[in-house]
This record gives sequence, structure tokens and C-alpha cells, in this order.
Amino acid sequence: MVASGPASHDVNQVKLAEDQTIGAVVLKTACSDKFEHMRFWPRPRYKLLDWDKQMDGRSKHFTLYSYEQGYSGTLEDYWNFIKACKKRARVPIIGSIFADVVEDWVMMAQKVEQSGADAIELDISSPHRPGSLDFETTFVSAIRSVRKSVKFPVLVKLAAGPDVFQQCVTAEECGADALSLCNRIRGFDVDVETQRPILHGFFAGVGGPWAKYYTLRHLAEAVQKVKIPISGTSGVICGEDVIKYVLLGATMVQILSVIMINGWESVGRINKEISEYMARKEITSLDEIRGKAIQHMTHPDEIVRWSGEPKSGPRNDWK
Amino acid sequence: MTGSEKKYPGLNPLPPDFAKEFPPVAAVVEEKCIACDRCPPICFFDAIVMEARAKHKYKRTAVVVEGNCTGCGLCFEACPVDAIVWVPDRSGLPVPGKGAPTEDTEP
Repeated sequence: MVASGPASHDVNQVKLAEDQTIGAVVLKTACSDKFEHMRFWPRPRYKLLDWDKQMDGRSKHFTLYSYEQGYSGTLEDYWNFIKACKKRARVPIIGSIFADVVEDWVMMAQKVEQSGADAIELDISSPHRPGSLDFETTFVSAIRSVRKSVKFPVLVKLAAGPDVFQQCVTAEECGADALSLCNRIRGFDVDVETQRPILHGFFAGVGGPWAKYYTLRHLAEAVQKVKIPISGTSGVICGEDVIKYVLLGATMVQILSVIMINGWESVGRINKEISEYMARKEITSLDEIRGKAIQHMTHPDEIVRWSGEPKSGPRNDWK
Repeated sequence: MTGSEKKYPGLNPLPPDFAKEFPPVAAVVEEKCIACDRCPPICFFDAIVMEARAKHKYKRTAVVVEGNCTGCGLCFEACPVDAIVWVPDRSGLPVPGKGAPTEDTEP
């Protein structure tokens, strides 16, 4: 699946993704009218840090530092955008919305359903979301009301953080049909030469291949507790990463930054790498290995420790 | 873009208050471009195309389609020779409180 972002703000891109054998597309997040300012994008808004630029389309290391905003059109445009995508492409189209008050959430979700989208993703964790809306007071009631008011599947996108496990459980209790783990993290960087924050000077979303280690851990925790399908996303750069997510029990895997950095061909390449892996391991369906790594996880109490090791004692060299 | 090359030497740093007067867009300094084909695929807005140039060293150069450019900054990151610079947006996008840039106000 293509994750919500700059690779899914245009009808042509959905068609392009389909040609590259993608499974589904999450459209760019639309914001309610209250957050109209998020439809206007700052310039510039992307910066690539620690990038092995010379790899020519096969980069393995980078940090995407960005102040990405919402869908640039009005809500009316967004509904038409969904309709156009459905008309042009055969892959499932997933709408993505952000709001703060329950009425806006419900109105937008219903409109997305009427426009013909196959599912909806509630983007409650964007690193660029305005203000400090917290999960319990704002979003729990929103998930619950949206679930009651629409018939199609509702995904909830959560961000990596200490409380994400509890949020997964709460989202399931609220009736979410699936979870997306995890959104990018809100980060910050400073230029030591100019002694100022880089880019526009405010916190920005950071992500990259390194971010998958956080998500894999959150996924491994969540998948043992919640029953609903989980869509893994963060730092997928090659077919192997997708296999990692599947081995930890993810039902879907979303990619985005690899498309931005290495181009649309990455989709085909990742799918090819998955097929090669399946042929090598002699499996016909990813269901055969889904969640296989989970059963081999160890409890901290069961980890073998060695005692009486002279090397592990206190060093007395300072005497 | 030879004129703007001197005034706006690149992304770091953006000239002071530049963005307040004009929304910036990318432009290619054709003399610097090495026709490496890295910037067209990284652009999500179809705003960079390769064009033939008979007199150019590499016979081709990248060109920014100003009407499509949203000034996101990704091509700056992709360019290995810093051939992409900021220039004022002349495509007539209105700036809040300033109006569209005219011939007189253009630097």
C-alpha cells in the first residue's frame, strides 16, 4: 500500500502506483475547514539528512525531515478527488482525514464513504498536526462516533511513542477495524553553522529506514494483544523489510518515503524481492509466515544470563 | 537563469525575507547542470523535465516548469552539483497581502 502523503495527492499518481503493482493507496490527508491553513504549504518543506545520495535510486540510508501539510484543495475537491481515483483505478482507495471536533470527523467520514472510498484512515497522529490535541480527550470519542456513523472499514493511524500500545487497545475497544502503525515521529534539527533550526524553524516530521525498528517493536507488542488487522508502516526500503513486518504479524504494509527517494520503480522492486524470498523459502502465501517470529519472542525472565563471569564484575583499575 | 544565479546562490541560506515577498520556486542553472537525471523522478509535481540543448555540454538540461513547482525543496537535495537555486515565483500565485509579483517589484 502507498501511505498517505505526497505520493498520493493526485489522480495520476494513483494510476502510476497501480501500474507498479501496488495493492492499495491511502490518499493524502484532508483537514477540516478549521485547519484551512494546513492546505497552504510552506516552501521549502522537505530536507533530506544523512542521505547516501550517490546510490542513484537504491539509497539505503536517509532521514526525511519534512513539514508536510494537508491536502491542498477544499473538502469539496477532496470528495471529487476520491471519485476520480475510483473511476480511474481499480486498486482499493483509502481516504484519510484529520479534524478535531467530533462533528467534523463524522461529517468528513460520511462524505468519504459517499464518495466511494473503500475504507478510511483516521490520521490522529500526524507529526504536523496543529496544537497539542491529546488522544484521550479528543480522539477516542471521534473514533467511536466515526465507527457508528459509517459502514466501511475504519483504520486508525497511531504514532510511535510510549503510549502507543494503550492507544492500540483503546482504538480496538472503540471499534476500529484496523490499525496503522506507526506514523512518523515529530523531531527537530539544528544547523550548527547558522546556529538556527533547519528549514522553517519549527518541529518537523522525521522518518527513514531507521524508523522501522520502533515500529517493529510496537507492532510486536500490539499484535499479541489486539485482534484487528494491523498495517505496518515506517522505513520500508526493500522486500526484506516487508517480510519483517509480515513475520511480526502485520496484515498490510505501507510504503512512502522509499518512493519519494528512490522512485516509483521501488514498488515493483519490493514486490519482486518478496516473490524471490517466497520462492527461496518455498511458500505460496505470506499467510504461512504471518506472525511466525512472534512465537519465538522471549520473556525477559527467560533470557539466559551467565553468573560468576569474571569479566562482568566491577573493574578496580582506578585504584 | 544566469542573472538569478548571482543573486540567489542556493538553498543555504535563503536570502533574508525572500520568502515573505515572493513564494520561492526552484530553477535550474543550466550551465551547472550535468544532465544526471536525478531531479525529474524525485519531483512529485511533474515540475522538472529534461530538455534538449544543442549548445549544452551534455546536450540536455533539466528545466523547471514553474507553474507546477510547489517549492518543496526535494530537488535541491537531489542535485549533486547544486545547480538548482531559488527564484521568485513568476507564475502569478498570489501572496497573502502582497498580490501577485509584477514586473516592477521583481528584483
